[in-house]
Amino acid sequence: MFDELLDKYGKVVYSSKNDVKRPAAEVDDDAESLSFAVALAKVASEVKAADIRVLFVKPLVYWTRFFIIATAFSRPQIDAIGSKIRDLAEEKFKRVSKGDTKPNSWTLLDFGDVVVHIFLPQQRAFYNLEEFMAMLRPLNCHSKIKISRHFAVERNMPPFLKVL
Amino acid sequence: MIQPQTLLNVADNSGARELMCIRIIGTSNRRYAHIGDVIVAVIKEAVPNMPLQRSEVIRAVIVRTCKELKRDNGMIIQYDDNAAVVIDQEGNPKGTRVFGAIARELRQLNFTKIVSLAPEVL
Repeated sequence: MFDELLDKYGKVVYSSKNDVKRPAAEVDDDAESLSFAVALAKVASEVKAADIRVLFVKPLVYWTRFFIIATAFSRPQIDAIGSKIRDLAEEKFKRVSKGDTKPNSWTLLDFGDVVVHIFLPQQRAFYNLEEFMAMLRPLNCHSKIKISRHFAVERNMPPFLKVL
Repeated sequence: MIQPQTLLNVADNSGARELMCIRIIGTSNRRYAHIGDVIVAVIKEAVPNMPLQRSEVIRAVIVRTCKELKRDNGMIIQYDDNAAVVIDQEGNPKGTRVFGAIARELRQLNFTKIVSLAPEVL
């Protein structure tokens, strides 16, 4: 019932004019984040992280664009992956991460629009982030369809991009 | 406004149901804890057959408070309950899912793991 009313009378209200972004600018931002995420995923694969996934989560959560989920098999390896990713982000993209600095069984690096999760295999199975993301409802189905077309992902598929 | 002796709900599936705050971490002499603060708590009620037991002492992050949270832009967020998420010594959540809406201030306070397990972020 509310969906109909929203379609008929609803409109998006922005708190200030700066919030309004042209769709083209948003697509550009998405593409930039994607290239950054893919670069990070490639570095992770160089350090032999396993089962790397780059998930496009923008239609599901508003606070970030991409999740990178990777498995490492020991804490030294987690440390190696984390420091390589941090170095690359700082040298090439001039971006600094927030989050864990010490190797942890679930190490998280937060670059704002890209969030990197490095798990030990046990923790990855325990938290099962992919399944959780697949269960979330999209925030706005219109944007999902538009973005999916842009990246040529089928409409009925969960909006995940398996890059590597 | 969480202080020692305050009872809190648990907003995750770790197995605890109700906590009592016994100490606020990070300060020596502060009276109240707010959203994003870590507390030491004792489990007052627990779900049967789960790893966490009653009367166990744990650490938890406060995610919802009845006391309103004010933002710089004038927005005020007030929840109906006091709730916390159980974490371990490393800062990883003990449960696998977080329930209910949580505030985005947790991300700035380096609790992005909790934010990424939450279904809704305000």
